Amino acid sequence: MAELSFRNIAKRYGDIDVVADFNLRVEDREFIVFLGPSGCGKSTILRMIAGLEEISGGELAINGKVVNDLAPRERNVAMVFQNYALYPHMSVYGNIAFGLKRMKIGREEIDKRVRSAAKTLGLEGLLDRRSTALSGGQQQRVAIARAIVKTPGVFLFDEPLSNLDAKLRNHMRVEIARLHQQLKTTTVYVTHDQLEAMTLADRIVLLRNGAIEQVGSPREIFERPNSQFVASFIGTPAMNFFEVDLAGASAPCSKKARLAIDPARFDLDGRSKVVVGIRPAHLRPARQDETANIIEGVVDLIEFLGNDALITFKYAGEEVGALVPAQMSPRVGDQVRMTFSDDNLHAFDIETGRSLAKRSQGRP
Amino acid sequence: MARNVSKTIGRGVVAIAALLVIIPLFWTLLSAFKNRVDIVTPTPMLFFTPTLDNVLYVLERESVRAGLINSIIVSGCSVLIGAIFGLPCAYAVARYPMRVADDIQFFVLSLRFLPPVAIAIPLIVIWLDVGLYDSRIALIVTYSLLTLSTTIWLAIPAFKRVPQEIEEAAFVDGYGPYAIFFLIALPAAAKSLIGAIVFSFVLVWNEFLIALMLTTSDAKTLPIVASEMTQLGRDVPWGILNASVILLSLPPLLFLGVLSSFLSSALKTRKQG
Repeated sequence: MAELSFRNIAKRYGDIDVVADFNLRVEDREFIVFLGPSGCGKSTILRMIAGLEEISGGELAINGKVVNDLAPRERNVAMVFQNYALYPHMSVYGNIAFGLKRMKIGREEIDKRVRSAAKTLGLEGLLDRRSTALSGGQQQRVAIARAIVKTPGVFLFDEPLSNLDAKLRNHMRVEIARLHQQLKTTTVYVTHDQLEAMTLADRIVLLRNGAIEQVGSPREIFERPNSQFVASFIGTPAMNFFEVDLAGASAPCSKKARLAIDPARFDLDGRSKVVVGIRPAHLRPARQDETANIIEGVVDLIEFLGNDALITFKYAGEEVGALVPAQMSPRVGDQVRMTFSDDNLHAFDIETGRSLAKRSQGRP
Repeated sequence: MARNVSKTIGRGVVAIAALLVIIPLFWTLLSAFKNRVDIVTPTPMLFFTPTLDNVLYVLERESVRAGLINSIIVSGCSVLIGAIFGLPCAYAVARYPMRVADDIQFFVLSLRFLPPVAIAIPLIVIWLDVGLYDSRIALIVTYSLLTLSTTIWLAIPAFKRVPQEIEEAAFVDGYGPYAIFFLIALPAAAKSLIGAIVFSFVLVWNEFLIALMLTTSDAKTLPIVASEMTQLGRDVPWGILNASVILLSLPPLLFLGVLSSFLSSALKTRKQG
């Protein structure tokens, strides 16, 4: 049980600011996911929590206690590494027990806790095996068992699933979600995989260049992206973007693209150009009589995805992707005419990429 | 088909290379148990009446026993010193980034660039002045320089191959740098480290030139004693020479055997608890 608070946390390597002025509060029992492209500083922040990186500035508190200068063991955290980091010369049992031995816990208690952790992760039969003789998924389970056995205040996961193959990754993701439901330990989880973030997180912290781009529940981030960066990072297939010339505030309609932009929803503020975004899943074939929000073009690529097909066509000089039910998929070379509901349109400032949506305007 | 042919040729080449190495050794082993007559006969003899005379002669000589004891003490101590100081040093260079790490690594290697004679002559003077010439201490200290540099040089990459995350995991598990060195880094790198230590042992066990120049009687090591066997008389005592060569080769082999069995037992899964 622990809560974390970051106050103006900074990390510098020489003259380079990797993280600057990072502020966040993680509530007790919360599952927080740091999401971002590689090099955005998410792992660095995680390592600062663990005590593996020095904190260059600001204050990190766990349960109200500033831990900037405390050794990892005084922080009551446990970490799962990307490449598992199992001790190669020890058995599975030895790996799980290693941290407990340092905590000066009696032999019997250690044995009890190791066995119960092993049971939770289905490792009972493997306790005597050498850690190097395990499959990737088993190694990852040992790494997680090694973390939970210490009953820490905070779990730290550093891209724990990225070394696993796709099927196993899905499986372990579910296991981690169950484990959190069961243990309710505060968790900070770093990943670059938006699917992991969306499915696991109570809140996602989307990072870019060492700064927070947006914090919110997966749903908030998906439905109300703060910026074009967030909108493009979250959601597969990726959102379509168009630059749109506005004829003027009175006639919010572009010459290049005939898209209506509702001034009641967006803070256009006299801008003459904006970027609008529509998710491929929000595009649907238009009926003949529909004339608003029309995007049309000639299909040049079809990707079959199972239930859906992603069709790609050119419109207003941009590639547009649209998800259509697979059985309704057009053929390459067909003319398509798509439309979307006003509610599903996003608009961003062309310079800063910030969302122009009016905050008070709740979206369904 | 072509692949099979090239495979066969490859195996043939390896077999010839192996025979080139093994036959002289094998012949030496045989000759150690031959009578003089059987050795100098113009037709090489594969079957003969073996004799232990050569081996016994070598073993019974006081100088051989003294040389053996000297060799064991000198090699053992210098390897121990090389490991005790060299392994932590290599670990520090491998793990803790510092400006001079590369320089240290190069300096250690550069010690081996000098021709041994260039080192031996000043060393004679130094040990004479200190009053320790022809003593085991002098040889141990001198050899420690060799074992240190070899151990450090070979152990740095061994430690670098230990994944950093393993040590970080131990750090998060609450262990300090010394515990991590002894409980994680050393055992995780053990395989390569034992190779490094064996190599440094073989190096000093076989060392000849420096031993020749730093000893006259008391501290003579086995290679020196063995080489002196050739000076026993006009007739080269081939049997005795071969026997001494075999005896000289045994300790490094034994050492290697002991270490590798130690290694495999150390790496076996420890029972829980």
